[in-house]
Amino acid sequence: MTTERRNLWVAIAAVALGQAAVLGWMIWDRVSLLANGREVVLEVIPVDPRSLFRGDYVVLGYDISRYTLPPGTKPPKRNAPFYVTLKKGAGETWQTVAGGTEPPRTVQPDEVVIQGRVDYTTQPTLDNKQESVVVALQYGIESFFVPEGAGRELEKMVGDKKISAVIAIDADGRAAIKGLMSDGKQVYDEPLL
Amino acid sequence: MSRYAKRLDRDLVRWREAGWISQDGEANIRRDLASTDSSKLDLASALGILGAVLIGFGAMSFIAAHWNEMPRLFRLALIFGGLFASYGVAGVLFERCHPTFAHAAVLVGVSIFGAGIMLIAQMFHIEGNPPDAVLTWALGALAAGVILKSNPALAVAMLLVCLWAGWETGDTGEVFWPFLIGWGAVTAAIAWRGWSGGLHLAAVAMAIWIISLGYWLFDGNGHGVVVGLGLLIAAAGIAAPLVDERLSPWSMQGAAYGLCIAYAGLFALQFMKELPLDYFILLAILSLALVLGSIALGLRLGSPALLWLGYAGFSIEVLGIYFKTVGSLLGSSFFFLSAGILVILLAVVAYRLHARVQPGLEASS
Repeated sequence: MTTERRNLWVAIAAVALGQAAVLGWMIWDRVSLLANGREVVLEVIPVDPRSLFRGDYVVLGYDISRYTLPPGTKPPKRNAPFYVTLKKGAGETWQTVAGGTEPPRTVQPDEVVIQGRVDYTTQPTLDNKQESVVVALQYGIESFFVPEGAGRELEKMVGDKKISAVIAIDADGRAAIKGLMSDGKQVYDEPLL
Repeated sequence: MSRYAKRLDRDLVRWREAGWISQDGEANIRRDLASTDSSKLDLASALGILGAVLIGFGAMSFIAAHWNEMPRLFRLALIFGGLFASYGVAGVLFERCHPTFAHAAVLVGVSIFGAGIMLIAQMFHIEGNPPDAVLTWALGALAAGVILKSNPALAVAMLLVCLWAGWETGDTGEVFWPFLIGWGAVTAAIAWRGWSGGLHLAAVAMAIWIISLGYWLFDGNGHGVVVGLGLLIAAAGIAAPLVDERLSPWSMQGAAYGLCIAYAGLFALQFMKELPLDYFILLAILSLALVLGSIALGLRLGSPALLWLGYAGFSIEVLGIYFKTVGSLLGSSFFFLSAGILVILLAVVAYRLHARVQPGLEASS
């Protein structure tokens, strides 16, 4: 093989393997989060559906999507990171126990921290400075793709408030949907591969 | 046959008939032309590129299609298989000296990489920040363009950088400065390849970005900055050959892009904002002076681009003033009268300038 020919194939291999590595990393990153992340169950609140490009999906809202800061707190900036500490409640589902723009210093063994990003905040009105600031949060677990056609049925279940989501959360607080549950039974399970 | 070759073909016949060159001389010139005229367009290449674009779109519409009947591993195999296959085909085509088709195959590879990012995000419910996915795609295209020396891949990288910046700007409503880094990286790669068409693409991208600054800076009042930057670029373009003779081929283009930016800023200032009348008249005079300037410069440098820019600028300016003033301040009859006088004045100036550039004109007419 001549040098020129070898160089060509080295270049081709570099580009193909490089791009494949990026795609592979995306998959590995997500699969390891799903496999190793701590599992929590969150109650789902209905929102509205459908993407033009990406097929059927349902939009999922959560109790933890809104966090109320005490009056007088400076509202966080849009897209700023926001950390919410969760703890298992009386039933299956987990509830918010604390939240803030900084990660909590100490976390109890039965608690888990999920990292979100500020979508928007409600500003207190001028005449009422004592009003609390409500922060709307996004965790990257707000949409769930389903087999074509199954969206409507699932949407109805979400509408009837019968759904809860199983979420995996890793040590950095990143979250991924593992599956959906209805009345304690798994209705959609997310396969790893 | 390129445009240059066609023109030379006509001229050669005329020159031979006039007796300025010999028959042998003509034959030699034609032979030289045939061996160096590399910029010919052929149908096969054009079809190859079109085919690649179609396959790219096919890969993208995979997302919209119902492919959930396939097992997940099979889908992944399809993405990775497609990626390796298209680069493999590109390698074979480069080896067999079909560069156009090889570049088309590289484009398919870049498209599959982009489709792969979106499909994997869909399959694994990765939401994240969508512009980040576009940036990843742009970096993949840039790497393919640099490593495989593929101009089409670099063009895709430039378009993706623009999409990335546009998306971020749309999301935040603020100027997206990291665009400059992305633009700089892709432009450096294009300059390294010495691809003049790509440099024009880079210039257009930069011009659009600068013009957009007017709408985002200072709550949408940044058009003055746009005008200043445009004039600065135009001046730099004109002055460039004085600094270094080798820059002279770019002088005219620099001036044209700069003036185009300045016009866009001036038009936005005059016609999109509510201004006091005296300020408006000042800006209108400045615009018309610039129009005249670019027409004069176009004639001086023999640049049709600058000439047409001047004519287009003049038309838009006049039309803009018309819509701004009609029925309000001046009345349309006064407008047409003054515009007519202006055009005639312009014609006289243009004729004088033209005559000065080509002294034979006045004598022969």
